[in-house]
Amino acid sequence: MGSVPLSHYLALGSALFAVGFAALLVRRNALVVFMGVELMLNAANMTFLAFSRAHQTMSGQAAAFFVIAVAAAEAAVGLAIMIALVRNRNTLNVDEVDTLKY
Amino acid sequence: MTEAILFYPMALVAIGGALGMIVSRNPVHGAMFLVLSFFGIASIYVLLAAELIAALQVIVYAGAIMVLFVFVIMLLNLHEDDLERPRLTPGTILGGAAALAFWMISFMIFADLPDQTMPVELSEGFGKVASVGRLIFGPFILPFESTSILLLVAMVGAIVVAKPRI
Amino acid sequence: MDWLSGMNPAEGLQGALRWIVLFPLFGAAVNGLLGKRLGRANVHLVACGAVFASFVISAIALYTVSFGDASRITDLWWRWFSIGGVPVEMSLTIDRLSAVMMCVVTGVGFLIHIFSTEYMSHDEGYWRYFAYLNLFVAAMSLLVLGSNLLVMFVGWEGVGLASYLLIGFWYTDEEKAFAGRKAFVVNRVGDFGFLLGIFTLVGLFGTIDFEQLQALAASITPDAVLDAGIFSGWTLGAVITMACLFLFLGATGKSAQLPLYVWLPDAMAGPTPVSALIHAATMVTAGVYMVARLSFLYAWSPTAMATVAVVGALTAIFAALMAYAQNDIKKVLAYSTVSQLGFMFIGVGVGAWWAAIYHLVTHAFFKACLFLGSGSVMHAMRDETDIRLFGGLRKEMWHTWATFGISTIAITGVLPLSGFFSKDAILHGAHANPNIFFPWVPTFTYLIGLVAALSTSFYMWRMFHLTFHGERRGMLEHRAHEGGNAMVGPLWILAGLAVGSAVWGLPLSGGARFENFLEPVFRAADENIARMTALGAEKLGVPVPHEPAHDFAAMLPGYLIALVVALIGFGIAWYLYLGPGKQIPAKIAQGAPAVYRAFANKFYVDEFYRAVVVVPLHTTARFLWRVVDSFIIDKLFVNGSAVLTGWMAQLFRYFQDGNVQRYAVVMAVSAVVILWVFLG
Repeated sequence: MGSVPLSHYLALGSALFAVGFAALLVRRNALVVFMGVELMLNAANMTFLAFSRAHQTMSGQAAAFFVIAVAAAEAAVGLAIMIALVRNRNTLNVDEVDTLKY
Repeated sequence: MTEAILFYPMALVAIGGALGMIVSRNPVHGAMFLVLSFFGIASIYVLLAAELIAALQVIVYAGAIMVLFVFVIMLLNLHEDDLERPRLTPGTILGGAAALAFWMISFMIFADLPDQTMPVELSEGFGKVASVGRLIFGPFILPFESTSILLLVAMVGAIVVAKPRI
Repeated sequence: MDWLSGMNPAEGLQGALRWIVLFPLFGAAVNGLLGKRLGRANVHLVACGAVFASFVISAIALYTVSFGDASRITDLWWRWFSIGGVPVEMSLTIDRLSAVMMCVVTGVGFLIHIFSTEYMSHDEGYWRYFAYLNLFVAAMSLLVLGSNLLVMFVGWEGVGLASYLLIGFWYTDEEKAFAGRKAFVVNRVGDFGFLLGIFTLVGLFGTIDFEQLQALAASITPDAVLDAGIFSGWTLGAVITMACLFLFLGATGKSAQLPLYVWLPDAMAGPTPVSALIHAATMVTAGVYMVARLSFLYAWSPTAMATVAVVGALTAIFAALMAYAQNDIKKVLAYSTVSQLGFMFIGVGVGAWWAAIYHLVTHAFFKACLFLGSGSVMHAMRDETDIRLFGGLRKEMWHTWATFGISTIAITGVLPLSGFFSKDAILHGAHANPNIFFPWVPTFTYLIGLVAALSTSFYMWRMFHLTFHGERRGMLEHRAHEGGNAMVGPLWILAGLAVGSAVWGLPLSGGARFENFLEPVFRAADENIARMTALGAEKLGVPVPHEPAHDFAAMLPGYLIALVVALIGFGIAWYLYLGPGKQIPAKIAQGAPAVYRAFANKFYVDEFYRAVVVVPLHTTARFLWRVVDSFIIDKLFVNGSAVLTGWMAQLFRYFQDGNVQRYAVVMAVSAVVILWVFLG
């Protein structure tokens, strides 16, 4: 019998998700915002795997596998965009990048 | 029992690292904290009998992605005064409150769930490389191939976007 | 005559009545649409030909109803519509009264068309002129021939339209265009009354057909109180009086009586043949015709008839006084027309129906001749109208002098010309026909009529002397010459008719021929008058008065008085303008300048109307335009809604500030709220 119930794993996952979400909403440095996104993805992975063990099926792990792969690709492109952003606007402050407006 | 002994400290590490990331002013510090958090998460994956994924977490996430992050931070060569000053705007407060509220809601939901315990005895080779491999070359072949194309496209995209001149 | 009756002309005529209207209507269409390309000769042919065709049919119709079997022929053209159980048909009727009118309209119209071919020969828009003229004849025919009030009203409006078009014919001149507008607008006021009259009659009798109305009118009890319909609680007599008065309001507009006569003098801005046809002979007589048509109805309303007579009398004298100081040859004739129309209304107002119609006919002849004569003078004197510049034209324009003179003798009522008989028939009816309801009316109208006759004589002879006799006072280097045959011919024909039509008025035994001729038409009216008088006598406790005699002996005193009056007028005019008293008019003008100015300015009636009616309307219209339309509707609502949309958009625009993180915060908060609501 596992001594840690499923809900604890889920609570952890949602806590991590909340922290990542907070980083996304509160911090103004674009890199930190991006790190929050990665954290959120990990929280989702955690949930996948927790249920995978709970239901004794491997599909959750396959899903987590692909999440990691996609996260890698996304990180690469996102960071490339950051580089281009700094090159053009000379700032990483999210508040200063607001030209997509009226 | 062993599981509990391992789970709660590692959970603390994961959350601690995450919180550290969110409060550190220097993004390099934040990246380091995040790496710490990933290690904690990887240990929990092991507890969840997802050994391959744990390994991949360390290798790909902590090892490749976060390294890339640190490379870019270094590349961008931020000065001390470029670092952001903490500002308490209505947006910030709302954002923090929203995240907190979100966690509390989900927590309340989980608390309502019947206490479901994790099974201990899992099937032979559960979470091992072979099983995952059988899956990704079997039922999940299409996502696998698409992901490979996605990685190719991401590579090309990253190069094109980051180049000084097209 | 045998071969005629073998053809059964009544039947053939039935289908032909509509052609009296259609010929000139098609002529108007052809000339209006193609006239410019057809060339002068063709336009003249079409226009004159159309009117002549109508005249021929009218003449045949007159002959048929006089000597044929049928005294009344109806042509049911088509059924227009039916509303509330009242059928309205486009239908034409001809009886003796309308046949006489039609012959006058088309005959005089034809002569004026001939005159116009030479008078308008210099004008560029001749094809337009003839189109309008034909349109007028068509509309007037519709008015006269209509079997019911609505067809008459269509014609009524149609002649108003033609009048407007023709008065403002030279529309590039602002004053002339305004004159046309004034005529139309004043007419409209009258038409409003006409419509109210029609509505009242429909509400009361449920029909607008003349024949049906006549039948219903035979059994009226004027004291009966109505108990159903919109007039419940009123007496029948009161409603009929109201209807008659409304209709008379329309007549005052069309026939230029008080208070709606103001358009007629201004209407002289149009070409002179137009003045001759429309504003002397035909259109303005439509009011008289209408009252005569409804004589059987007016008979039941002594109030309405007294009103008609009194208004006619007052108009007659008022207009005559205005003519005293006029120096424009056409204006004198215009006021003269108004005055003579007043006479005609006296005639219908006192129940001398045939006399009014007779005067209508004779007036058409001599007034048209006078107007055409003035046109001839204007044509010779380069369109000058101020008689102070004329003088001695007798030597240069003999034909015009002769015909003008004959017509002047006719209008002033001198033996043996027709005007004498017609005017005197009216005056005789005025003082001889008894009126037990308003006993002062006979004396009143007779005396006013006499003074008006005196004035007529005076100002007509004044104009005649100033224009044709004496020495030339102005335009001395210009030599006037007579017009061609097309102008002189109609002048002589009309003058001849002015002389010849006296025959019908001779008071032979048993009354004048004209009177007897129209007796069947007015029999119903006379009977109704007799019944009404009997009822009134009963109510008032007065003995029933007996019929006045119409033979020569009875009329002799009246004849003599009228003759004396006319000669007095002639004498005064001769003395003041031709004889030794030449300085007196100037002295009068200098001695009492305010009075003279009052006369010359037509007693400031136009100015009064302007201040009381026109200016308030103008101000209201301007207010509505500037404030309501321009400001409230345009600025507030139209522009305002656009501006409001702009403001709202400006407001909402601040929600999109480009800060992506802000968007994320909003999304997060929304997600939390939704979760809370749906899961909490």
